[in-house]
Amino acid sequence: MEPRKTTGQRSPQQLLRDTISQYAEGDLSISFSGAEDVILIDMVAQMGLTVDIFTLDTGRLHPETYEFIEQVRSHYGFSIDLLMPTPSDVAKLVKEKGLYSFYKDGHGECCSIRKIEPLKTKLESLDAWITGQRKDQSVTRTNLTQVQEDKAFSTENHKITKYNPLADWSLSQVWQYIRENNVPYNKLHDNGYVSIGCEPCTRPITPNQHERAGRWWWEEQTQRECGLHAQNVIKIVS
Amino acid sequence: MVKKVLANGESCKKCADVERRLKQDNHWSKLDEIVIAKENDPNSDGMQIAKHHGIDVAPFFIVEENGKVELYTLYFKFVNEVLKGHPSKTETNLEILENNPDLDLL
Repeated sequence: MEPRKTTGQRSPQQLLRDTISQYAEGDLSISFSGAEDVILIDMVAQMGLTVDIFTLDTGRLHPETYEFIEQVRSHYGFSIDLLMPTPSDVAKLVKEKGLYSFYKDGHGECCSIRKIEPLKTKLESLDAWITGQRKDQSVTRTNLTQVQEDKAFSTENHKITKYNPLADWSLSQVWQYIRENNVPYNKLHDNGYVSIGCEPCTRPITPNQHERAGRWWWEEQTQRECGLHAQNVIKIVS
Repeated sequence: MVKKVLANGESCKKCADVERRLKQDNHWSKLDEIVIAKENDPNSDGMQIAKHHGIDVAPFFIVEENGKVELYTLYFKFVNEVLKGHPSKTETNLEILENNPDLDLL
């Protein structure tokens, strides 16, 4: 299915309404991270709509996050599909490298097993998904748009569209919405956590730190990237 | 293979990881030449080659066959298409993550 066309920026609510109305049940789902993207669920509920919701249960989430997922389920009356990693893949990783290999080898392998594989499997059954991703979350999201073809998971025969209703919202706008609408939120936010992921890979941050600083802090940006920066290359051999 | 060496003389983390994988999977001996791109020496052979081909990441692979040159900046794609290995599910997913770094914040 080709990505739906968008005509200018829409409010998150309008984009959600338009999107949900365009897809058959089971072809579209919201990805809920167990953090402040709960406002997408709140918006859907306030508009009297329903949509499938999934969350990636990596098996390493904080107890507060599990409690929050359950709170959201009971508060809104929506079922939430918990996507779990393939047990044999996790067992192999843990057997070979232990429970905390990400501190030594980087978080990529663990995330690939606990997040990417379950997500990829889920998306194979969908035509589109909705995320709470925002441009201001990371330097890697500055080009985020409200509607985009999901090039990470689309195949030649199965195009997947990704909707990001909050793409242009700031973190402060998100929290303004949460407060004004009495939206339930993850209690970890009260303890300085901003971006919330797995327990071993998430920490609270100080007010002046970027939210990304609360994730994988032991991995220096220079270690994550391995660029041959242009400014280092100043002469060409002819 | 062009690999990057940091100013302190160590291989960059990703290059070291790729080298380990190549050796582990018995592919290392299939490489004709390892060229070093020194982080602090823009005149090093690897830096010159990278500049010549417009490559700005490391490691990368140059494959020449029948006079045609192919460049690979994705390790698993190189393994699959050139060395004929079969990347595991986790390796494929890791590459998806590395090419789409926003996914890890989900």
